Amino acid sequence: MTAVLDARGIDMTFQNGDELTRVLSGIDVTLDPGELVALLGASGSGKSTLLSIVGLLLRPTAGVITIGGERVEAFSDAESSRFRNQRLGFIFQFHNLLPDFTAIENVAFPAAAVGGGMSNSMRRRASDLLSRVGLSDRMGFLATRLSGGQKQRVAIARALMNRPELVLADEPTGSLDRASADQVLDLMREINREDGTTFLICTHDERVALRCTRRITLRDGRIDNAIQDGVH
Amino acid sequence: MFAFLVARRYLGSNPWQTALLIAGVALGVTAFVFITALIQGLAVRLTDDVTAKSAHVSLEPPDRVARILPSPDHDTEAVALVSMLQRKQIRTWAATVALLESQAEVTAISPQITGSAVLVRGEAAAPVAVTAIDPKNLDAISPLSREIVAGDGRLNANGIMIGIRLAEAIGLSVGQPVLFRTDRGIERLLVVEGIFKSGVQSLDERVAYLSLETARPLFVLPAGVTNIEIKLKDTGQARSFAAFVSEATGLRATAWQDRNLSLADALTAQAQTGTLIQIFSLISVLIGIASALSLSANRRRSEIGIMRAFGVSRLFIASVFVIQGLLIGVIGASLGCLAGFGLCGWLATFIRPDGTLALPIAPAEGGYALVFLLTTAGAVLASVIPARSAARLDALKAIQQ
Repeated sequence: MTAVLDARGIDMTFQNGDELTRVLSGIDVTLDPGELVALLGASGSGKSTLLSIVGLLLRPTAGVITIGGERVEAFSDAESSRFRNQRLGFIFQFHNLLPDFTAIENVAFPAAAVGGGMSNSMRRRASDLLSRVGLSDRMGFLATRLSGGQKQRVAIARALMNRPELVLADEPTGSLDRASADQVLDLMREINREDGTTFLICTHDERVALRCTRRITLRDGRIDNAIQDGVH
Repeated sequence: MFAFLVARRYLGSNPWQTALLIAGVALGVTAFVFITALIQGLAVRLTDDVTAKSAHVSLEPPDRVARILPSPDHDTEAVALVSMLQRKQIRTWAATVALLESQAEVTAISPQITGSAVLVRGEAAAPVAVTAIDPKNLDAISPLSREIVAGDGRLNANGIMIGIRLAEAIGLSVGQPVLFRTDRGIERLLVVEGIFKSGVQSLDERVAYLSLETARPLFVLPAGVTNIEIKLKDTGQARSFAAFVSEATGLRATAWQDRNLSLADALTAQAQTGTLIQIFSLISVLIGIASALSLSANRRRSEIGIMRAFGVSRLFIASVFVIQGLLIGVIGASLGCLAGFGLCGWLATFIRPDGTLALPIAPAEGGYALVFLLTTAGAVLASVIPARSAARLDALKAIQQ
C-alpha cells in the first residue's frame, strides 16, 4: 500500500541576518491512507513549519517528500500550486474564507479558479459538500454572515472540493468554542471514516489529539515519539 | 471567466470606495475632454475667423530676377535687368482659372488686381488699398455683400465701394463722386456705389473695391491680373494644394497658414499647453488607480494567501487586479466621456448676441476615442504594479499575518 505521505530526513533552517535557526531536524513521517493523525507540540516546536513543508508552502532545507507516490520537494512554484489544488486540502485557524463570496462560492473556489469558472458540476459538488457538513441552508450566505463554527465547516467542505488525498489542518478548532470545536472534529472524523480521506491535524490541544488515530509529537524540531493510538 | 467575477466582487465589496475611485477617473477624463474640446474649438474659431474672410491660397507672379544672358564671346557678359517700374502681373490668368476650375477641392476663384491709390475729396485725401474683382463674384472670397451698409456692390464702370470709416473720414456717402488717383498718377472720377462695414478697423478705413474692368486702365493692366485668390473645401489642404498649383503653373502660391505664421505659432503653443494639461490629468488618474489597487492588494493579503494555499496561480491573482484596473478604467472613462460631452454641450448653448459661442468649445471634438483608449490602457498599466505585488505575495507569510 502506497503511503499518502512519506517525508524523509526533513531539515528546515531559517536565516535571519547572520543568524541561522534550525527549526526542524531529521524529521521522518509516514502517513498511510485513511489515517487521522495529530501533530502535537508546544509553540515553537516546529509543527506549523512541518505542516507548511508538507503542504508545499515552504521548501525544506533538506529532505525528500513523497505525496501519493510523487516526489514533490523540488517542485516549481507553478507545479506546487497545481499539486496543492488537485491533491491537497487546507484548513486554517483564521482567515479561512473569502469574505466577499457566499458559502457555496467559497467551497467551489479552488475548482472554479483553476477551471476558469463555476460549472454546474462544480456547483453540484459544492452543494453536496455543504449539505454533508450540515450547511445546506447557508449556501447563499456570505462568509461574513456565518458563525465561527459554520465558517470552519465551510472550510472543511472547501478542502474536500477537489477530492484530495491529504487534508492538512492547522489548529482547525483553535478559534472555536467547545461545542463548535466538537462539531468540527466529529465532522473530520466522519469524513475520514466514511471516505478514507487522510488528515494531518496540527494542534496543541490534547482533546483533539485524543480523537485522532495516531499522534506525532514534536519537541525542539525533532520527533519526540510517535504513538499509534487506537480510536478514542 | 472566474477572475472577472472575483474582480467584480472585490470592486463591489466596498461600493463607496469604488464609486469614489471611478468618480476620480471620470473627473480626470471630463477635464481631458473639456480641455480638448476647448482647444479644438478655439483653434477652429481662430482658423475660421482667418479663413472665412480671406483666400486659402493666393497666386501671384513669381519674383523676377536679373538674368545673365548667353554670349558667344565669353569675354563679355550681358545681363537682362529687371524693371522696377513694370507692374508684376499674371498674363495667362484665364488658363490658370480654367485649371483651377477643374480641381474638385476648389470652391471659389477670384482673379484680382490689387494696388494702392489715394482718394481725394476737396481738400481731404486718404490712401487706400485697392482690390479689383469681378462684381459677379463679389462674395467669392469674403462675404462682402453681407457687410454692405449703404448702396450696393454692383461695381459699375465708374463705381467704387469703400469702408465705412473711410467714408466718414473724408465725408463720403453713396452717390457722391470722389477723385481716384493711382500710384502711377492716373486719375479718374468715380462714384461711391456702396459702403461696407466689416468690423475690422484696418479694412473699414483703408480698403476700396473696384470692378476689374474699371481697374485695368487705372493700373495699366489691359489683360493681366496681379493675383488670383482661391477658396478650398478643406482649409487644412491649403499647403499641399499651393504646392500643386505652383508646380502646375509656375506661379508663386501661398497658403493661408504661411500668410498667418503668428496664428500658426499661437495654435501650436495652445495645442502644446493643452497636451500638457491632458497628460497631467491622465497621470493623476493613473496614480489614483495604482494607489487604490495597491491599498486593496495590501488589505486582501490574507485572502490572497488563502487562495495561493489552495492552489490558485499567481497569474490568476494578478489578473484579478488587472481586471479591476480595466473595469475602473472602462467605467470611469465612459462616465467621464459622457460627463465631458454633456458639459461641453451645455457650455455650447451659451450664445453671444452676434450668434457666436460665448466659449469657443467644440463638443464633438473632445477626443473621446483617444481619452477612452488612453485611460483604459493606462488603468490596466497602473494596475500592473499592485497586481505584481499581490501575485508575488508569500502565501505562508500572508496567512500567518
